[in-house]
Amino acid sequence: MVRAFVLLALGGPGPPRPAPCRVLYARAFGNPPETDNPPGTGDPPRQRLRRKEQLLAVARQVATQCQLLQSSSGRPSSPQLPQLPDEPMPLQDAPGGLFQLPPGDPFPERVTVAWLSVVALAFALVCDPQENVSLAEITLRRLVPRLLASLRLLGPGADVLLRPEAADVLLDRLLPHGQMLFLNEHFLQAVDREMGIKASR
Amino acid sequence: MFTATAESFLKQAREIQEEELRRFASRVAAVLQGPELGPEAADCLQRLHLTVAATKYPRKLDGKFVELLQTLLCSPKCPEQIQLLCAAILREMSPCNDLILSCDEIQDAKLLSLVSSVLLAQGNKKGEVSAVGQRIVKVLERRVPESQSARYLLPILSNVISLSPESLTEEQTNVVSKKMADWLRYASTQQGVAQPSGGFFSSPRTRQPGPVTEIDGAIATDFFTVLSVGQYYTEDQWLNMQAFSMLRNWLLCYGAKGLKTPSSDNKSGMDRSVMAVVSTTSTPGRLLPPKDRLREKAFEYCQRLIEQSNRRPLKKDDGELQKACLIEAVTIMDVICKQDSSYVYRAVSFLKILHGRISGDATYARALLPIAQFFLNHGKMAAVDSDAIYKHLLSDIPAQLFHNPSLAFEFVQFCKDNTQLFTETSSIFRQSFPNLFKFLAWNSPPLISEFVDLLPFLLDAGTAVEIFHLLLDLPCLTAALDIQLRSAALPTSERAACDPAVKPTTCLEAFRHPQYKSMFQYLLRTKSTPEDAPERLIPLRQLLGSLASSPRVMQCAETVPVLLELFFRVVAEFADGTLINQLVVLLLQRSDQLYEVPAFKDDVYRVLSSQLVMLCRLRPVLVVELSTEILEFSGAVSNIQNKEAIFTHMVWAIGEYMSVSYDKRCTVEQINRFFETLEAMLFEITQLRPLASTPSYAPRAISVLMATLTKLAARSQDLIPRVSMFLSKMRTFVQSPAVTSVYSEEDLEEILIRATELMNLLKMPSVAQFVFTPPVDVASTRFQREVNDSLPFALRIVTRLLEPAPGFVTG
Repeated sequence: MVRAFVLLALGGPGPPRPAPCRVLYARAFGNPPETDNPPGTGDPPRQRLRRKEQLLAVARQVATQCQLLQSSSGRPSSPQLPQLPDEPMPLQDAPGGLFQLPPGDPFPERVTVAWLSVVALAFALVCDPQENVSLAEITLRRLVPRLLASLRLLGPGADVLLRPEAADVLLDRLLPHGQMLFLNEHFLQAVDREMGIKASR
Repeated sequence: MFTATAESFLKQAREIQEEELRRFASRVAAVLQGPELGPEAADCLQRLHLTVAATKYPRKLDGKFVELLQTLLCSPKCPEQIQLLCAAILREMSPCNDLILSCDEIQDAKLLSLVSSVLLAQGNKKGEVSAVGQRIVKVLERRVPESQSARYLLPILSNVISLSPESLTEEQTNVVSKKMADWLRYASTQQGVAQPSGGFFSSPRTRQPGPVTEIDGAIATDFFTVLSVGQYYTEDQWLNMQAFSMLRNWLLCYGAKGLKTPSSDNKSGMDRSVMAVVSTTSTPGRLLPPKDRLREKAFEYCQRLIEQSNRRPLKKDDGELQKACLIEAVTIMDVICKQDSSYVYRAVSFLKILHGRISGDATYARALLPIAQFFLNHGKMAAVDSDAIYKHLLSDIPAQLFHNPSLAFEFVQFCKDNTQLFTETSSIFRQSFPNLFKFLAWNSPPLISEFVDLLPFLLDAGTAVEIFHLLLDLPCLTAALDIQLRSAALPTSERAACDPAVKPTTCLEAFRHPQYKSMFQYLLRTKSTPEDAPERLIPLRQLLGSLASSPRVMQCAETVPVLLELFFRVVAEFADGTLINQLVVLLLQRSDQLYEVPAFKDDVYRVLSSQLVMLCRLRPVLVVELSTEILEFSGAVSNIQNKEAIFTHMVWAIGEYMSVSYDKRCTVEQINRFFETLEAMLFEITQLRPLASTPSYAPRAISVLMATLTKLAARSQDLIPRVSMFLSKMRTFVQSPAVTSVYSEEDLEEILIRATELMNLLKMPSVAQFVFTPPVDVASTRFQREVNDSLPFALRIVTRLLEPAPGFVTG
């Protein structure tokens, strides 16, 4: 199962001033029953706080990994991509990767994180350790261009903050309740059709 | 970019006060209770969502308002966008204490999906997960498969069983298993029809849809799977895709022979024994119990997927899905065989053929891992010799594909999942560790924590030395891999053999040059090969110096200190005397032979010096046993400059452990020899050269030399006058103008204080002897154990005894 999807702004040291890494949109799929926690930590505000902190911890790790990957490949901070807001974009060279977070930090169990980055944003799937990681990467590569288009993420607005239902619709189709789907290209077109997205090819 | 706008929105949302929020919420409530739910309602809810989501502490919303949201969510006339926003807000606030939402009466699948997403976010305090699970199964039971909406329900079920497998009874899992088997095996092989566009003038032209095709365009040869292609899909084909997507999870939860779910049926005891007896291969489908039938259909599905993965897809992106399907199919087969070993024989021959087909194709490398895992789990049972599979996996794949970060990650996970294989000394797995480190060398940031977990399993008395060298040369390996990649990318015309007489000018040329070729080959080896003469790699390290500041090399260099510390910690647990001695000698040797990456040497010296002390503490007699090597090291003045940390700690160890109390073989001659060497060193670094400029040395090196000389003198008391005289000259040293210009005032003061204290101590030889050479069984008091603290402390006490402050009585 995918436990969560996180959309974050990478932040970084760049001009005009250093910016922190921020979670712009996050969706947790189900709330695991907290059976092992010490009593008293289970009350709702703390559970909610824990969830938010866990997702922020994931976001920070993704930002770090992204930064390190960028510097190791000698790539300067990505140039502006051409703005084609209505078409799903191919993401051949987008930096991305996989890493694990150990049990206890921040989730009680081990998790695997698959991430993909576009310009100053990153998208991450937090998966249970035995998940099909290849499918997670495919799912990300499908979610990202559709999110970029639907939320106009490359533009100057803040749709991602103000239109959570647009992101929810996409997730409900491509990652319903955290279930990754084995969709071949034709199935994917059928999904796009149902969402009203024009076919790109 | 958008960041500025987003930042300002977030800031505003965070700063909204409770009172303002209350007023806004009532305004929203008014809008929501109005006749029309238009754009204004959506806008309000969007802003409300942001306000609730923007803070870590929960926002208080009026109970009635929360109830309104829930009512609206379930209201049939509510527009979809509003429903989505209500659900989003409720989820964002979860867990909530006052939810009245329930899925019990909901018929519409889409609404059930939305409501479930809220209920599953509550943490199951009130059994919400089970309630959702029950409802889904009930709806599934009643629906005929062709109904529009069943496909919204399967993902919810998958989520339910991931959160809480106990939510479903055995009867319910049987119901679902039965349906899943049907969906997997008997979905239509005809394409679906486009939804009629409607409209007055359109005539519903029922053009006969053709059959579904395979991924390469051929007409489908067998039953429908996720790799079947059509323009439009029927409902049962959607269910087929979803059932497969959750199949592994389902089998892992409910497929095992030992039933874990609470059974609602009294007959379940009998069912269990019947299921155990029934053979799965020959019985026609319908007669099998649901669980076994699902297993059979699942197995057939996986076989079909594996066959379908042989086809060349028309759309390039389908190739990626093919590989993901292949991996999933093999993994599910593995699960099935674990649950019912009668499938092993069918699977084994199949997978061997598959392996033969894909093992030469680099694009299928990731699929080799689940295949290998299958044979590790079941190969013995099937009496299959799978050594060739492991050999190919461990020798060829890392060497060729270390630069593929996804493969690197999965490969290392595979190793971590099978650590017991690495503990066998002669196993292929253990022998392949040089290959494994290539993954780390190239992809350091995501893999360093994985290797911290893996390293202890690779270390034993046989591999320790080789791994020690390997760790120190890890950044060098990164550079070599870079050269290897670039060399492979050259067109063959440029890869002409070079003239052995001519010295190569670039690293790329050197890669093929006979003088360097064998060095590269050793560094890039795929199997464990101990090296007797590690200094033969020195020219290679120098050659690769041009790559030392490349970002990838530097990232790798940062992982080495961590791994070195771990290395020593693990080795300390099993190393015997010979190995410890060997490591100390190598440590001193290698300190000269390190790759010149910025900051790398300093970090490595820091770790090596503290680990050197640890080894000496572990085995004090090594100071005597290795006196030749240690003398040589501590007698080289260049070491004080270049490797100050190691030098200082080595000298400290000499002072501490070169003593009869630690090793009976320690002779007066040995003590004197060390004394003379160290005395010469101290002389060298403290002599005043009036004409030449005074080089500066680390003050603590001076300090530790003085202390060690004093300790040695305390044990061989003929030396005391020499030391005392030397120490008395330190005042001149410290006060000379050439020195004061080069060292800081505080350092010089400390040196002087230390020299004075040591001199005072030597005035009472028996006290000195006790302080510096305690009998070993007394040596475990805190006083002696804390090296850096206890000596100054002891010295200060003695000094106070000798030079009493007013009012302080001497003993």
